[in-house]
Amino acid sequence: MAAVLTPKDFATATPSWWCPGCGDYGVLSALKAALADLGMQPKDVAFISGIGCSGKISGYLHSYAFHGVHGRALPVATAVKLANRDLTVIAAGGDGDGYAIGAGHFLHAVRRNPNITYIVMDNQTYGLTKGQSSPTSQTGYVTGTSPQGNPDAPINGLAVALAAGASFLARGFSAHPKQVVELTKAAIKHEGFSIVEVMSPCVTYNKINTYAWFKENIYYVNEAPDYDPGDRSHAFDILSREGKIPLGIIYQDSRATLESLSHLGTTPLAQLDIVSRSPAYAAMQEAYR
Amino acid sequence: MVVNDIEIMFGGQAGDGSLTTGDLIAGVFKRMGLEVYTYKDFPSRIRGGHTNYVIRASEHPNWGMADFVDCLVAFDLEAVEAHLDELRPGGFIIFDNSSEPIPDGVRRSDVTWYEVPLAKIAKSDLGLELVRNTISLGVLSALIGMDRSIVRELVSNAYKRKSEKVLDQNLRAIEAGEQYVERHFAEWPSGYALRAGADGDRLIMMGNDAIGYGALVAGCRFMAGYPITPATDVLEWMAKHVPRFGGIAVQAEDELSAINMVLGAAFTGVRAMTATSGPGQALMTEAIGLAGVLEIPVVVIECARTGPSTGMPTKTEQSNLNHLIFSGHGEIPRVVLAPGTVEDSFYLTVDAFNLAEKYQCPVFVLSEQALCQSKATLPSLDLSRTSVERGKLQTEPVVFGEYKRFAFTADGVSPRVIPGVEGGMHLAAGSEHNDAGVITESALNRRRMMDKRMGKMESMRDDLPKPIIHGDPQAEIAIFGYGSNRGPIGEALERLWQAGIAARFFEFRTLWPFPEAEVRAFVEGAVHVFVVENNYTGQLERLIRYVVGPLEHMHLVNKYDGRPFRPIEIIDPIEKYALLRVPMEVRR
Repeated sequence: MAAVLTPKDFATATPSWWCPGCGDYGVLSALKAALADLGMQPKDVAFISGIGCSGKISGYLHSYAFHGVHGRALPVATAVKLANRDLTVIAAGGDGDGYAIGAGHFLHAVRRNPNITYIVMDNQTYGLTKGQSSPTSQTGYVTGTSPQGNPDAPINGLAVALAAGASFLARGFSAHPKQVVELTKAAIKHEGFSIVEVMSPCVTYNKINTYAWFKENIYYVNEAPDYDPGDRSHAFDILSREGKIPLGIIYQDSRATLESLSHLGTTPLAQLDIVSRSPAYAAMQEAYR
Repeated sequence: MVVNDIEIMFGGQAGDGSLTTGDLIAGVFKRMGLEVYTYKDFPSRIRGGHTNYVIRASEHPNWGMADFVDCLVAFDLEAVEAHLDELRPGGFIIFDNSSEPIPDGVRRSDVTWYEVPLAKIAKSDLGLELVRNTISLGVLSALIGMDRSIVRELVSNAYKRKSEKVLDQNLRAIEAGEQYVERHFAEWPSGYALRAGADGDRLIMMGNDAIGYGALVAGCRFMAGYPITPATDVLEWMAKHVPRFGGIAVQAEDELSAINMVLGAAFTGVRAMTATSGPGQALMTEAIGLAGVLEIPVVVIECARTGPSTGMPTKTEQSNLNHLIFSGHGEIPRVVLAPGTVEDSFYLTVDAFNLAEKYQCPVFVLSEQALCQSKATLPSLDLSRTSVERGKLQTEPVVFGEYKRFAFTADGVSPRVIPGVEGGMHLAAGSEHNDAGVITESALNRRRMMDKRMGKMESMRDDLPKPIIHGDPQAEIAIFGYGSNRGPIGEALERLWQAGIAARFFEFRTLWPFPEAEVRAFVEGAVHVFVVENNYTGQLERLIRYVVGPLEHMHLVNKYDGRPFRPIEIIDPIEKYALLRVPMEVRR
């Protein structure tokens, strides 16, 4: 029986490159706590990240971590799960990684519904390249690439995912660690593609969407005692409403996973014996005689 | 009289069923003991547009087209007009004159015309216009003396999965074709004869099927791809067969996703591949660099077509060689293998997976439309020649802290754990990293890591598939080539030899790492060097000069019209540049 682990057991010795006060610290702490709470072992966790400040998170989680190219964490994570369903697979990236360069994969991961978790660390700016506007930046946001104000409307990632058939949607705020831990745990436990968008302020470049701003502009959907995360049209309504940002488990339903629909055998692909020569190989030549 | 050597071209509109009939003819020839090569020249559309399908049958394997077509089966006037000049003097045409006659001035007098109202017979006698292809098979079979029982057997096999009625219609169509010949034509084509021999222990297979089969036998259990001509067959083959072996083939949303999925599956310990063509290859370039720096074994099948951009998607070209060898930002170890036959497509695909895993780097298998979508006869594939070598795969627990995923070793290859192995947790980062996987920008580490990764290009040397040297190794004329050109170059070599002219031919099977020592040894004593390739700039010729240095009397024999070489197109320039006179009779 494996020892019971604490969040510290999911830490690496690598010092963080994030700025002091960065919202991403909260995401990382919550993830470590969630994995420990769920009794996971680092060897069974595959953690895939993209590029950007957020992408660095894979270096700080003691696990089988993969820090790939910009925007492609989800295809990698989907394949890791298909290759070995025994692994707990988590992908993470920022709003740029997920909703700009990787937006196509985001939609298709939602469609496929693999049993993996995707954490979108949303700071509404491009931090690592020093503060350009991102797909979630507010219209009018002034940056080096938008000196006259960002002309684009922000993307509503969760609403888009809901339209595409998402089976689990949650949103948290990195300054609320307890809630983010619970949301992350629920997401990992969900059978299917679970999205946790965490509002993760950039203290260096985003002077608009600050910790103080968020505290004024968020609410939890379960503050309403009769909130039903199974009600899809209500979730749409909540997500598309102007005004305060809804947090919590916004939507959840049960839908067949990619793995269950892929006619996979009982043995994970990664554990198949491929060295022995199958007698079926030779028989296949008969079709070509 | 030419015995057992004939090239038949079916010409008509895409979607009219000539591919099915062409495949049937290829099958009949194979069963009659002949060697077969087929070439599909079809437009990039589903229905309509001129298409043709060439079936070549010969006593000895040729793996390419002849100089001329012997028999043109033309379903419309467009086919006649497009291909009449490709017909050999003394050859013959089977023309469907149902809707239009041959206009005056089109006819060539040095070929024999067999005009048959195929569509009319199909409609009036058999009640189904679609069977005019099968009637043409009956006509052809009677004219050249195909084995009638084999024809019936293969037609039955092809149509028995459909209804009794369809099968019956097709069998009657064969009969109708044969009878038409007997009733209407007094003379049969005089220049050709077929003599049936034993089929033997042989197969007939398309290049892409051989790649799929090779991948399966090599233990590939994960494929991700995005449909693209002419590579889609590989994804379809795997989707059909790999689930039975516990694996999966995924149709991704684009090539970016496909290659990143392959990386994810390979990182997790599954042998994984993708198959694509030029445009998809371009999109995959960034992630292939990632595979290089993460030291993940991935196999990429490149079925080349005519570029740039969309180019001519269904036509052949060898213009992606530079891309496979040099593309990408930064430098990574990589392997480019190129089979020259359907048979070698199987064996080199197996090699690709073993090389990828032993040296933990991307391996390309480079094929081309004229090879990957062509069928050929081949000896039964010898599975005892295949094995799965997993290199330094580490599946037993390791001690965390001691184990280093990117450990510096003499051969540059580090023991590789996969997720789930106790103690092996690490970061696989596309950022430069140290031996433990921790990201660092240290100058010393950077040098050591580059040396380690790139050093694999040297440590793998002895493991790489060897070139094949054909012909007379002492000959003054030396030829370089690879891929689908193996067929026409081989045939040119043979015909030059028959004319008393010796030549040697270096068939590359590994293009990268470049077989420098082998190339240097090969050109010793050569007076004229020819490089034969299907592209404009002479990518292989430049590559040879880049690595080996300029060779005296080096000539580029290139073709970039989307069509494969015919042997005469290689013989002619050799004659011209080497100032040799090739007697006319060797030209075919």
